Amino acid sequence: MPEIATHGDLAAYREAILARRQSLKATIAVCGGTGCQASASPKVIAALLEALKARGLGDEVHVRTTGCHGFCEQGPIVVIEPVNTFYCQVGVEDAAEIVEKTIGQGQVVERLLYTDPVSGEKVRTESEIPFYVKQKRQLLSLNRRVSPKSIDDYIAIDGYAALAKALNGMGDGAILKEVEASGLRGRGGGGFPTGRKWRECLEAPGEEKYVICNADEGDPGAYMDRCVLEGNPHLVMEGMMLGALAVGASKGYVYVRNEYPLAVENIKAAVNQARDKGLLGKGILGSSFDFDIDIARGGGAFVCGESTALMASLEGRVGEPRAKDVHTVVEGIWNKPTVLNNVETWANVPAIVTNGSAWFAGRGSGGSKGTKILALTGQVKNTGLVEVEMGTTINTVVMDIGGGSASGKAIKAVQTGGPSGGCLPADKFHLPIDFDALYEAGSMVGSGGMVVMDANTCMVDVAKYFLAFLQDESCGKCVPCRLGIDRMLEIVTRITEGKGVPEDIELMEDLAETMKETALCGLGKTAANPVLSTLQYFRDEYDAHILNHKCPAGACQALITYVVNAQNCNGCGKCRLACPHQAISGSKKEVHVIDDALCQKCGICKSECKFDAIHTI
Amino acid sequence: MQPQPLETLLEGRRSQPHQLIEVLQDVQAQYGYISEEAIRTISKELGVPLVDVYSVVSFYKAFHLNPRGKNVITMCTGTACHVRGAKLLLNQAISQLGVQPGDMTDDKLFTIEHVNCLGACALGPVVTENGSSHHHMSPGKLRKLIDALRARDEKPEQEADHA
Amino acid sequence: MIQYVSMKIDGAIFKVPKGSSVLDVAIEYGICIPHLCHVPNISDLGACRLCIVEHVVEGRSKVTTSCTLRVQEGMVIKSNTQKIKRLRKNIAELLVSQAPNSKAIQDIAVRCGVKTVRYPFRNDNCVLCGRCVRICREQWQAKAIGFVGRGKDRRVKSPFGVKSETCKMCGNCIDLCPMTITPCDGPMKPGEEYLCGKCESQLMEAESAVDQCIMCGLGEGFQCARH
Repeated sequence: MPEIATHGDLAAYREAILARRQSLKATIAVCGGTGCQASASPKVIAALLEALKARGLGDEVHVRTTGCHGFCEQGPIVVIEPVNTFYCQVGVEDAAEIVEKTIGQGQVVERLLYTDPVSGEKVRTESEIPFYVKQKRQLLSLNRRVSPKSIDDYIAIDGYAALAKALNGMGDGAILKEVEASGLRGRGGGGFPTGRKWRECLEAPGEEKYVICNADEGDPGAYMDRCVLEGNPHLVMEGMMLGALAVGASKGYVYVRNEYPLAVENIKAAVNQARDKGLLGKGILGSSFDFDIDIARGGGAFVCGESTALMASLEGRVGEPRAKDVHTVVEGIWNKPTVLNNVETWANVPAIVTNGSAWFAGRGSGGSKGTKILALTGQVKNTGLVEVEMGTTINTVVMDIGGGSASGKAIKAVQTGGPSGGCLPADKFHLPIDFDALYEAGSMVGSGGMVVMDANTCMVDVAKYFLAFLQDESCGKCVPCRLGIDRMLEIVTRITEGKGVPEDIELMEDLAETMKETALCGLGKTAANPVLSTLQYFRDEYDAHILNHKCPAGACQALITYVVNAQNCNGCGKCRLACPHQAISGSKKEVHVIDDALCQKCGICKSECKFDAIHTI
Repeated sequence: MQPQPLETLLEGRRSQPHQLIEVLQDVQAQYGYISEEAIRTISKELGVPLVDVYSVVSFYKAFHLNPRGKNVITMCTGTACHVRGAKLLLNQAISQLGVQPGDMTDDKLFTIEHVNCLGACALGPVVTENGSSHHHMSPGKLRKLIDALRARDEKPEQEADHA
Repeated sequence: MIQYVSMKIDGAIFKVPKGSSVLDVAIEYGICIPHLCHVPNISDLGACRLCIVEHVVEGRSKVTTSCTLRVQEGMVIKSNTQKIKRLRKNIAELLVSQAPNSKAIQDIAVRCGVKTVRYPFRNDNCVLCGRCVRICREQWQAKAIGFVGRGKDRRVKSPFGVKSETCKMCGNCIDLCPMTITPCDGPMKPGEEYLCGKCESQLMEAESAVDQCIMCGLGEGFQCARH
């Protein structure tokens, strides 16, 4: 008999955990997400444990390694519960002091607190930090409360309660009705109504059905799925179980991107724990519901985020999309009806079942309900994961939550929706972040990546960047995508080299329409969007390249020359040492000179110069 | 560490064509690349036509048909890293090591690669060196990193030569 | 028993066997839909996208390839609208700019109304239509060649670039290759490619070829129903 075999078992198990934890003096939650791991949080954890042991607090204080808290820029982040003191940029050397002062004496270590950049004052808790204040962290707030490796943590915060509710007392079709009424739409990019997808799968002929979690988050500049899966795998699994229950599936797959090893590790551990406790397998919680989950790793192919390519990859084949005249809800993996949803979509399901559709539909705007996690990155002060109600304006996210430009230069645009999305200029920042409004403006919400660009970014170069990305990631099966992207990139490259002609614009627009209408899958159909949106909003930059052979942002290598500004150069020699092409000469404390014949225009000298003495003309 | 033999990796997966990618992942992780011999064995044992195994290996970025350098330097070229100057880092690595992305240096010490997003966008630009990541990189930091790795790996060999 | 469905292509009503593709039906009844990667009796890939049609569902039309579209009761297809002609022409232009030395592809381009090519010519000898790969795999079960690599590096190759042990030397891959149909007299030198339009009679006539079949020689190579 597994440990949790009935509803009663689950409730009793939860009570037991809570009772055990009553005696804890404090809990230290340390972010162990990928971002904070890169900034050495594992060392901080080790140091904290050692300090606790040294003071004999090992049993009274629990150190919890959690998933991402969102504010990656300030990592590693440490939160002391129950008082919720929020420390940022914590180093190994701070561990002893935290244990000594905060845990031991209940005092605050001032120097580790976050400084409000506007008022200049130190703030103690998360709820006072401007980055967090305007957010609605429905999903992300859970990350802090659980360790991804502990099913106990998840059960302690009412985990699997939605599943218990669904199996005990919700009638046939009730889950599906709730999800339909909630207005939940796919969070992976398409924005397709989740309830409708499930309904179509339920009604598709066949006994054997599947649910799949798409964690092949390939959009560059988006990493919310990674954080949810990495930080709270049981939440995603519970969502999948509810989905399986609603459509009649007994098998699920989680397809995780190859570049996310920690997510693979955590979801595998979570599946094993759930199996051990009896929450996966036959007759879950004493019902007739059987369900199990398998984990598959991707092989490093962006196109596998497309549903049919993902399923081909799961079957062990090359990840090439197929024609979708018959949808995957009817003929999916192994040609059986399949529901495929993105990580964030699945993660939203348990709360809808627990709180009801009206609760969910009460948040958000018009046709876009609930909250959305955004990855705010690029040239903005506060980078990290942001969760806001749908319908929040871009301005709120970029300026209020993001804190505005990081470089001090004016923010020019924000790129949303990854390679399928577009660039929106600053004068469109009043737009609400919802599926329909952004689509109408020529971009899309997509998976939620928001890359902020300032005056140093050349928009033609951005278009070129995305085309090069897509050329690299296209599967190459169909002509409009393979040759279309190739030719489009050829044209844009020509423009960035100052060899463009005015007719090129028209040709690109014509080609873009052909790709949009005739390409086989979503990748090809949307491949021209970055070009179209930059053409729409930044036509002047294209004109500057074509007509004046100038790159206004100073980014296109062929159109710029690096020169030393004699007034600012103090002859420190840093650029001379940094130049990989030995193109810079000069003696110490004298103005240096760049040799145009040797200069490869890599830009390294400019980035290394501390005195702003290297300019582009 | 001695890599596990292919036999062990195939355990429990024989005659299951859908396990192809999982098996290849393990071979790649253990050996650093997938040899012709391994491809032929996998094709036979899993019951997948040879051309299909070859197609899969060549399609996915995670698999390599040739051995890679001792140190694999991976530059993230995702959008967020791109706007924060990932191109500079790529330029730095290419000119410092004298090889193009995907290639190995003659002394077999380095391979440069670029990946389209590592998902650590808030900390860009990001470079990983043999799996451990370095954030907020600059060309100067990268130059020092490569120099340090070279100094570490060149020494033992010279000593070995003397002995 | 074969089940039949009734459907419409360009206004004409057909009763056709369930399970056939729209392109099958069009070929059967002599409606000229240009196509390249389709070969009768082997599976369809939907790679060349030349056989696109408009599929009208509830008043909204969707562009899709006719080779991969299965017929359904009451289906409405438009194969030759202005929009389709324009898109098809653009695809043919992409193809011919890539492989100008193929007579088959030059003919398709001219027939689709391509008069000038707006991209620099390249001299590839493969457009990845995949006829060879599929005939090898499906007709002969040989699986000697396949698609290797992805995106711009995608090629038709045998494993490790050497002749496959499973190759049956049937030669079907060569027979079906659109590049092996005898090229125009005086193959073009690299760097001197142009659109001659001679194979498809004269350009003047070819302009109307999409609407009115001129019994072109091309049809033979592509199993056009008129031949």
